[in-house]
Amino acid sequence: MDMDATTNPAAGLLAALAAPLKRVPPKVRGRAAVAAFAAFALLLPVIDGNAGDLDAAANATAFAALALGLNIVVGLAGLLDLGYAAFFAIGAYTYGIFASWQLEPAWSSFWQPFAWLGLVERFHVDGVPDVAHLTVSFWIMLPLSGLIAAFFGILFGAPTLRLKGDYLAIVTLGFGEIVPVVVRNTPSLTNGAMGLNGVQAPSLFGYNFGVTSTPYYYVGVALVALFIFVSLRLTTSRIGRAWMAIREDQIAAAAMGVNRVRLKLLAFAVGAGFAGMIGTFYVAKLQTATPDMFMFPVSAMILVMVVFGGMGSPYGVVAGALILQILQSWVLQDVSGWLHDLGELLDNDWLQTIDLTQAIELIFGIVLVLTMLYRRQGLIPARRATRALSLAEQTANVERGGIRRQLRVLAREAAETPGPLLEIRGLVKRYGGIIAVKEVDLKIAAGTIVALIGPNGSGKTTMFNVITGLDPATGGKILLQGRDVTGLPPHELARLGIARTFQNLRLFNNMTVLENVLVGMHSRTTTGALGAVLRPPSVAVEEREARERAIEVLSVFGNRLLPRLDQTVSELSYANRRRVEIARALASQPKILLLDEPAAGMNPGETLELAEQIRSLKDMGLTVFLIEHKLNVVNDLADRIVVLDHGEKIAEGTPAEVHADPQVLEAYLGRKAVAHA
Amino acid sequence: MTFSDVLLQQVINGVSLGAMYALLALGFTMVYGIIELINFTHFSVFMVGSFIAMAVLLAVGLSGQSVILTGLPLVAVLLLALVVTMLATGTLGVVIERTALRPLRNVPGTAAMITTIGLAYILTNLVLLLVGAQQENYPNPLPNLTWHLGGATVHLREVLVWVVAAVLMLGLQLFVHHTKLGKAMQATAQDAEAARMMGVDVDRVVLTAFFLGSALAGAAGLIFGLYYNVVDFQIGYTAGLRAFTAAVLGGIGNIPGAMLGGLLIGLIESVGGQLIAVRWTDVIIFSILVLVLVFRPTGLLGRSLAQRS
Repeated sequence: MDMDATTNPAAGLLAALAAPLKRVPPKVRGRAAVAAFAAFALLLPVIDGNAGDLDAAANATAFAALALGLNIVVGLAGLLDLGYAAFFAIGAYTYGIFASWQLEPAWSSFWQPFAWLGLVERFHVDGVPDVAHLTVSFWIMLPLSGLIAAFFGILFGAPTLRLKGDYLAIVTLGFGEIVPVVVRNTPSLTNGAMGLNGVQAPSLFGYNFGVTSTPYYYVGVALVALFIFVSLRLTTSRIGRAWMAIREDQIAAAAMGVNRVRLKLLAFAVGAGFAGMIGTFYVAKLQTATPDMFMFPVSAMILVMVVFGGMGSPYGVVAGALILQILQSWVLQDVSGWLHDLGELLDNDWLQTIDLTQAIELIFGIVLVLTMLYRRQGLIPARRATRALSLAEQTANVERGGIRRQLRVLAREAAETPGPLLEIRGLVKRYGGIIAVKEVDLKIAAGTIVALIGPNGSGKTTMFNVITGLDPATGGKILLQGRDVTGLPPHELARLGIARTFQNLRLFNNMTVLENVLVGMHSRTTTGALGAVLRPPSVAVEEREARERAIEVLSVFGNRLLPRLDQTVSELSYANRRRVEIARALASQPKILLLDEPAAGMNPGETLELAEQIRSLKDMGLTVFLIEHKLNVVNDLADRIVVLDHGEKIAEGTPAEVHADPQVLEAYLGRKAVAHA
Repeated sequence: MTFSDVLLQQVINGVSLGAMYALLALGFTMVYGIIELINFTHFSVFMVGSFIAMAVLLAVGLSGQSVILTGLPLVAVLLLALVVTMLATGTLGVVIERTALRPLRNVPGTAAMITTIGLAYILTNLVLLLVGAQQENYPNPLPNLTWHLGGATVHLREVLVWVVAAVLMLGLQLFVHHTKLGKAMQATAQDAEAARMMGVDVDRVVLTAFFLGSALAGAAGLIFGLYYNVVDFQIGYTAGLRAFTAAVLGGIGNIPGAMLGGLLIGLIESVGGQLIAVRWTDVIIFSILVLVLVFRPTGLLGRSLAQRS
């Protein structure tokens, strides 16, 4: 930047102008920008009285709101939906059918109560039987079509959300194709390809919106504001964090107690609900609806807005939508006009006939490709870079001697359980012809540390995967405190108190340290979507307590993580990422913690520090099941050691017993080496 | 015509459509098999191919259906159009891979797929701006030769579709199974990492897949023009989606699967359209797509590379 300032006078001037702004904290700058923009949005009809401009602005609000809805699905939950316009269509036709002349059922006394409620009118023409004219209010249909679209979101989502990302994209594309075809082919309900006509305009306190753009514009602005509010509230809630966790790493999310299917469906439903409401708004504004308004190009355009603006960033997608709409409605027309004038001046026919608005999709394509290649985080990224840490914060105070404070998350009854905390009976795991775990029996007493060791490929991690429900067992039983938990899904096992870390680190990389740990608390907190949006006192208290506990858990590692709460974990060192993973698992208040090579990649000092911390956790009542290759750590920590070789348990006992076992030596060193020893 | 004759006629039509979808599906399947990317650009490469072939046919003096060729000149003109188109679309595929997709190959998630949607938009709309939105009358030199098969009629254009598709698919099979590069492709599809360690140049394999897939799409573009006699800038979308469905139905990543899937989708389109109603064809095809993906994501012929979530 400095180099630019000295070599380029324009950039220097810009930097000089921006300098005072830099002193304002980013949060204040952001709020000021939002406030200024909101004021501009509210005053636009006063500033610009041009009816055409206002009409385009009202349409722009509809697309900004659609982009906000798709952002929930694609940006937050990471589910690529290429048929989003289908829900837009469903919302549009829901209102269109209930507020037009499309259905004209014969009048009967059945309709009388609805007429009293103002939902239908008796329509009389001499010579023909009376009919019921559906006139359901826009204000009733707005939330209702949101609900109906959300229902379809669940209906479409339920069978498909188990598919991985790119398959899901294709299935949604298929649904996006099917919906307009169904609309076109059911003319009795939708008037087919001709489209619905004469959809009733909304009215409010006796004022009919008619065909002027201003009232629609304000409804659109209100909807955009509402959706931004909902998006922001969700993003910073238990629900939003679970969505992002699914986006970042489904498997880790499940292991941390997130019910993937339910939360994906929720994201689909919320996104569809937004689109349904906007469908109603859009049709009320146009007073017509045809199947062509909801084809793939519309889905693609909304996706471009989301990608360009910044996936996961509510303000970003609104900015993206508005910029592309301004481009489409004003800039290209204006530039075309200028080129026509220029062509007249130069007597050039080609310039006089050029129509740049035809190139809008070309521009969308270019914007999409360039964004993906050069700025994948979009215009206004969901995550800003965090400030650099001070030297003091960067210097780790190595806390020797383990953890000094009792962790509230571990203050549980687990340690007092009679009998083994975790018991494994005859566990078998087979992949095709390969037997990865063969008839393993194992008991882990509460409050002990048991280490699982064995050569590479001996089935240790497979055993962890089976115990945590990520891989179904082929045979055998797993009992937690005497209760059979075999075959339960991972999120259920996490709720029951089995937490784990992963050998190759499975963190939510684009989330902050604090958010990662908060996801760990998913199964210990209860806020739902509605609570997250309305944020009643009970939710605020739960959120505050969750944060306090997260910070308490992170304080286990001294000042290594506390100054980095708001850093994304991808910025952390390897050892710190391992620590975040352990903290995330601890936050789920486990009865038993499964650690898969926690000291891998740590230097001897860090390893020692970690070993002491693990021992402290045991002293606080936590049961630990540990895979580790560093045998000094194992010998030091473990009450018992279990040795696995080729999927079979070949030895079990105290560290001393296991070391004396000839079978173990053979497995590790080979037969000949043992003979020489 | 009796009902069975109608059905036979629709089977003949279906096999022709299916051969075209199969050619198009092969490109999807080869690229997906190797880098697990759903390549939406393929749709528009096919459409561009159709226009390139049209340009070649116009350049040799054809116009609409007014110039009819027979014998050696016919074969020569068609071969010229086929070869030029396949080289051109193959090159286009290579350029797309090198410039826009290779930088994103190791980016996790759906970034590369979203990019292919953007590229498809760019290609489609470039053609729109260059030739306009109107349907173009395709230069077609085929004489109106017909044969009778029971009560049904087989046109020369259908025989041509079958022959071209069969020869190209046979060629592809020979290439994949009997050349070093083809074997490298198979190896990369099974395990890119292991193939790399064995000295396979994965970049070159990916480029080959893009070149071959796009070249076959170009051939399908020529066939489309000769079969329907009209083309426009939007033909890639519907045909592309059907071909993609074919690839999924056969087992995406599986080359014989794409051929089988193409044939089935062609038959479903023509016979199903006859038995139910043409206006529901899209719903039928997409329902198949959804059902296959949900209940048998590995497709009919399966795939070593099953879905990994």
